[in-house]
Amino acid sequence: MQIDVQGLSVRYGDVTAIDDMSFSLAGNKIYGLLGRNGSGKTSLMSALAGYRKPSGSVQLDGAPVFENAAAMRQVCLVRHSADAADKGDKVSYVLEYGAAWRDTWDNDYALELAELFKIGLKTKVGALSLGQRSALGVVIGLASRSPLTMLDEAHLGMDTPTRYAFYDALLNDFMAHPRTIILSTHLIEELASLLEEVVIIDAGRLVLQEEADVLRSRGTEVTGNAADVDEFTATLTVLSEKSLGRTKAAMVYGTLDDDQLVRARQLGLELGPIALQDLFVHLTDPVGGKR
Amino acid sequence: MKIFRHLASALGAFCALAALGAFAFAVVLTFVVSAFKDVEISAWNVVMSQVARWFLFWVGIYLVHNVLPIAVAHGRTRREFFLAASAFSVALAAVAALLGWLGFVAEGGIYALMDWQADEHGSPLAYVLMFLVWTAVGMFCAAAFDRYGSAGVFSVPVGFVLAIISTTHIPGAGRWPIVPNLPTAVGAGWHLLSLAAFVVALGLTWVIVRNAPVRVRS
Repeated sequence: MQIDVQGLSVRYGDVTAIDDMSFSLAGNKIYGLLGRNGSGKTSLMSALAGYRKPSGSVQLDGAPVFENAAAMRQVCLVRHSADAADKGDKVSYVLEYGAAWRDTWDNDYALELAELFKIGLKTKVGALSLGQRSALGVVIGLASRSPLTMLDEAHLGMDTPTRYAFYDALLNDFMAHPRTIILSTHLIEELASLLEEVVIIDAGRLVLQEEADVLRSRGTEVTGNAADVDEFTATLTVLSEKSLGRTKAAMVYGTLDDDQLVRARQLGLELGPIALQDLFVHLTDPVGGKR
Repeated sequence: MKIFRHLASALGAFCALAALGAFAFAVVLTFVVSAFKDVEISAWNVVMSQVARWFLFWVGIYLVHNVLPIAVAHGRTRREFFLAASAFSVALAAVAALLGWLGFVAEGGIYALMDWQADEHGSPLAYVLMFLVWTAVGMFCAAAFDRYGSAGVFSVPVGFVLAIISTTHIPGAGRWPIVPNLPTAVGAGWHLLSLAAFVVALGLTWVIVRNAPVRVRS
């Protein structure tokens, strides 16, 4: 499924949540939608799912999504507020909605996931803990088997074992039923291994869209003698620096060319990867105006 | 059709059970009252003219406030939901009026057996129209509050006017203020007005919900 967003803006009164954003996503990948609080992730996903009328263009396989029955059938967005469930309803009733209204719904899988996450079918949604409600959202999202499945902060309130169970279930289901999955999360490192491509937004604008591996290769930690590190990084974009005695470590952004790699070897500097999460932090919180 | 079927099976069964419970309560209450004084009014008409319309008003609110976001979250368009909910409201009003009529028949038998007096009640058509309008007004007010927040209060006077039109031919549903005899003077033409009120309420609901965002629930 091809997703095309052109000139998308979302405003709430005087607040601009998404500001003239454009990008395209190819199908059958797991995307990470990363952004700080209030960066516009939920607004963006809501526009992609037809939850709100877009100002600009949002198209799935060339067709506008808002109020387009054929396109909306292909989409499932689960936000942390559990839109597909009413607090007064029992979990079994919530799953019945999915079975009744979604052509692609896999009820056996929904029941299997509910058991995996230990969600009682007779429990009312309002009586579930935050983590269980999030898990119910995951059940709805994955069992929908929608060609475009979006999970917004799906891990909220989940304990660590449940999160790991979620990641395993997500990956297994993606392998068995390839489709486009967009995950928004703050737990970047936990999910980093699942993400094939990353979209980073900040203040309603697209910061970058990149293959996760390519993005990782753009950041390098340079460690060595402080003077040598300073010399090496003088012409590079330095995201952060740490010093301990005469040793210094600097995180630099940008791919190093062959000459730079040779020079690093000559200076005896150690070059290592930096975590996706560190790159994200610095890309959305520029140091000294560098981005 | 899937939405209509699901609404009919889920809410329809609930409404039928509620009607059955209300009838049983009305009968028991009548017998209790008969122990203290003569029975002179139809308890079932109190249910039909007062309780039922508020119940259907709540159904209208529930449809838009609770079920519409769920429909969109399950990949259904607002248009699909609105058409299904409108059809459901028509079916529900008809079934509710039918159950009401059956209730009047059953109550009539009990009253005749006990030699009690019952006051008059409206025609099935009048109840159908009242239920239609009240359900649609519930949908309209819910849509207005959901979309515009506190400014949705402006839907209340509009909804009130639409709703009161439909109660004209229902004994026990209240008399018009200021011009109590006006409905009687106009006669059956009020049925057409009730129908128009239903269409207007639905039309206003559609104007509001067709582009309404599904907001994050707190």
